[in-house]
Amino acid sequence: MKKLWLLAFANIRKTKSASTTLTILFIIAALLLNTGLLVVFNYGNFYNDLKSELNTSNAYFALPDALYTEEVESYLTHNEHVEQLQVNDGLLLDANILSKGEEKKFSIMFTNMDETREISKWKFVGEHLPAQEMSVYVPDIFKAVSGYQLNDKMEIKYKDRVTKEEKTLSFTVKGYTEDMYFSSTDTGYISFYVPSDTYQKLKDTLSQQQSLLHIVYTNLDNVKNTSVVESGIRERLNLSSTSFMAADPSTALVVIDIELIELSRCMMASMISAMMVMFSLIIVIVCLLVVRFRIVNSMEEDTMKIGSLKSVGYTSRQIILSILLQFSSLAAIGSLIGCSLSYPILPAVSAVFEQQSGLKWEQGFDGIITGATFIFLLLIVMSITLIAARNIKKLNPINALRGETVARNYKKNHVQLENAVGRLPFILALKSMMQSMKQNIMIIVILIAVAFCGTFGVIMFYNTTVDTKAFAEIPGMEICNAVAILNPEQDQTETVRFIESMDNVTKAQFFDQVKLSVDDMEVATYVMDDYDKKETKLVYEGRYPENENEITLAGILAKRLEKKVGDTITISHGEKSEQFKVVGLSNGCQMGGINASIRTKDYLRFNPDYKQQSLYIYLEKGTDAEQFIATLESKFDQSILLTTVNFDKEMESGMASYQTIVAAMGLAMLVITLLVVSLVLYFVISSSVIRKKRELGIQKAIGFTTLQLMNQLSISFTIPIVIGVLSGALLGALYTNPMMSLAMSGVGIMKAGFVIDYSWILAFGIATILFSYLLSMLITWRIRRISAYALVTE
Amino acid sequence: MSNIILKTKNLNKSFKSGTQEQQVLKNLDIEFYEGDFTVIMGSSGAGKSTLLYALSGMDRPTSGDIRFFDADIANLNNDKLAVFRRKNCGFVFQQMFLLDNMSILDNILASGYLTSGDKKTIVENAKELLQKVGLTEMIWRKFPTQLSGGENQRAAIVRALINKPRVVFADEPTGALNSVAGKAVLDVLSDINNEGQNIIMVTHDLRSARRGNRILYLKDGVIGGECNLGKYVSGDKQRHEKLQSFLLEMGW
Repeated sequence: MKKLWLLAFANIRKTKSASTTLTILFIIAALLLNTGLLVVFNYGNFYNDLKSELNTSNAYFALPDALYTEEVESYLTHNEHVEQLQVNDGLLLDANILSKGEEKKFSIMFTNMDETREISKWKFVGEHLPAQEMSVYVPDIFKAVSGYQLNDKMEIKYKDRVTKEEKTLSFTVKGYTEDMYFSSTDTGYISFYVPSDTYQKLKDTLSQQQSLLHIVYTNLDNVKNTSVVESGIRERLNLSSTSFMAADPSTALVVIDIELIELSRCMMASMISAMMVMFSLIIVIVCLLVVRFRIVNSMEEDTMKIGSLKSVGYTSRQIILSILLQFSSLAAIGSLIGCSLSYPILPAVSAVFEQQSGLKWEQGFDGIITGATFIFLLLIVMSITLIAARNIKKLNPINALRGETVARNYKKNHVQLENAVGRLPFILALKSMMQSMKQNIMIIVILIAVAFCGTFGVIMFYNTTVDTKAFAEIPGMEICNAVAILNPEQDQTETVRFIESMDNVTKAQFFDQVKLSVDDMEVATYVMDDYDKKETKLVYEGRYPENENEITLAGILAKRLEKKVGDTITISHGEKSEQFKVVGLSNGCQMGGINASIRTKDYLRFNPDYKQQSLYIYLEKGTDAEQFIATLESKFDQSILLTTVNFDKEMESGMASYQTIVAAMGLAMLVITLLVVSLVLYFVISSSVIRKKRELGIQKAIGFTTLQLMNQLSISFTIPIVIGVLSGALLGALYTNPMMSLAMSGVGIMKAGFVIDYSWILAFGIATILFSYLLSMLITWRIRRISAYALVTE
Repeated sequence: MSNIILKTKNLNKSFKSGTQEQQVLKNLDIEFYEGDFTVIMGSSGAGKSTLLYALSGMDRPTSGDIRFFDADIANLNNDKLAVFRRKNCGFVFQQMFLLDNMSILDNILASGYLTSGDKKTIVENAKELLQKVGLTEMIWRKFPTQLSGGENQRAAIVRALINKPRVVFADEPTGALNSVAGKAVLDVLSDINNEGQNIIMVTHDLRSARRGNRILYLKDGVIGGECNLGKYVSGDKQRHEKLQSFLLEMGW
């Protein structure tokens, strides 16, 4: 056995560069596979474990003090669907906090940390310090994203509702927290935990702000009944508006259930892990194809050596075992390094998820998954080696010593020179290419796979950095530049006319969100006069409502209700109920994809008192929304204009983390693609140069220059590369959207519409081909070392 | 006296093996003449092939000059030497060195297309030469592995001639052939020499050597002697005896 180990290591030493490249491929494969599997299997578990650990309730109903009437309290306490209930108070404050050097808007809920809880608990993350006066314990994202360290000062700026003055609350950060509902800005409020004395102080300070909120955590008989309970509350309070931009927070009822939270918390993780696993599997397959190629080639190159080993008495079994040891050692080393490297990389992946979920996923060593990755790669390599090496048994030592198995018998004369047109290196390249179809098919398959991934990366990068419209449409909101929340008690006809005539305004239209019961399910419903004027068209099948009693359903809702275009559904509100025809299905993950769209005229029949309130304002390109809002606010007092929203800024800050994540991922995919292309080409071309040494030597002897031979060889590889890259890029362009639809259908994107800019894809394809050609020329530069003289004197 | 086509001055070639340096060619001053079939003979390790490859630009001398017609080829770089070879030299090797992945005709055309853009003329010339060396059309389409050694060597001669080289360099052209095939190859070489083709051939085979009109005997890296046989005439017994006595004199 020792002899065989020595033989294996002698082979590795002899082929240092090939062995190193092979090990790098194993590292990449193991790194991607282990990371992908750890995310897929463990992130979901982490979420569920945390949910159990914190004993998270099914849902919460956030009721401003004004809405938390005795009737509502009694309704909730005695509700047949409510099995367990816990009420906690909070102080709500819309405020600006410095985050990474920039002031950002947050909806903060101050919570008394000393209150005891049975359900929906919270916990500290990492180190925390004892509380002092004006201490605050903030969600971990304030450390991970905003960079607040322990004992850092945090200034919370808010506008006084009465005096309109800007005020500041100063806190000292004493620790970081995590809870299921209030750790991320994605799902409403974020919770800041303060000691009871500080809470009391804040309550006094903010008493004028009407900020007292009652959070009713409930465990229901079925989480689906959340909407039933919500309907009951709304009925009792006669509430219909659910706009997230409700003018008066004291009248906003917010209801969130655990399914929505799960959707939101795991959205990025499931999207990224799906992409990562798909990408890693493609790369693993590519790596294994190259490994097989290398093993087969190395055995062809070593035929004479194998012959001499056989002639001195080594058995076929021993020789095969030494080859098995050679490649298994490389696979073991590469996989071990790759698996080990995935652990230092995971915190970065976790930080990416945390930006969106607010939950800190700490992945320790997972022996089962890592062991499985390691064994899977090792077994695959061993199988490939054994299959490739089985011919050694049939090898006659004399034939092997003569190198006869290396010599190939050609039968078909492809591209006859007599009739061929073109320059000689090109014709010979074509000939050589036609004679290596197996190898070309491998190159084409590999290039299709990596170009597909690369194109996917380009599309993601393009959509998050160049043309972000499709990306911004993912949440399913109507995209404008600013929103004016008008006082519904006043006649706003003149106000709208005035706003429409303001400088830089291209359009202004009402777009509200109300709650309606659709086939007994509480659904956030968009209300608009004319959907033709909607800027963000999200319908992927059918159309928006145009006529009376028509409705467009979000894809997820339609799926849940098992409705399709042309079906009829019942819409009800209070006592009224009507039949609507489903005319379209739309994308969008707003309210977990449980949303619909109807015309204002139809809604008015359900709620004759309804007054349009949210005026969406569209500005000329390049207009500063902040400045526009300042002008707008200076023109109207609060009797007309309740509040304004800088939509541009909201969108920018809301999408920033997603954009950064997806752009970084797209870029990473591009880099890995190019790295894999380089390694594959290095392997295939350098093996080819070794195999064709005699042929190249003869050509040199009869007068071919090194450059001609380099071109000849590079062109012969470029043809399958061009076919592979163009096919892969085309497939990438055609299938990125269907693939993303599949990956994102769970979050409401039933038909992804990412912008496919063919010029970018073509540029990527051309760049990859040029890069491959230059790389081929660089690798074939070693031809200069092949000497015609050495050939004839050997 | 004919014109000088190739001339060396103080030609030296040495090989390094570890710390040892072995000088194979020592200050050689030789001239080769137009129309000659020059044969270089000598014992094993005398430097015959080293001289042949230095003269043909396949290898570079350690020092000294090589004038090939008007060109000084001793100091050309690899690519310039390649271009020089394709235009001026034809090679016939013992192992033929035909490209296995090409048909016989393609082997010749691949060489021919290197120097001429007129593909039609090259194809015509190739076919004419192939017929001349006795290779039928059926053989042109075959691959080297499907032919006999003699057929391959004749094809290799056609490849060497396709660019109308100034000199054909042959290194033991019959070394891997049986006597019948060897004779056929030598006949071709004699015929082309009679038509004016300059040939420089290395051999240790007497039957091959007597085809030449000028025999150079290389001994320990220097020219030990020279014998002029005159133009080859088939069945000339005196020629054979003269060569034999020259070689005996050289200690062969």
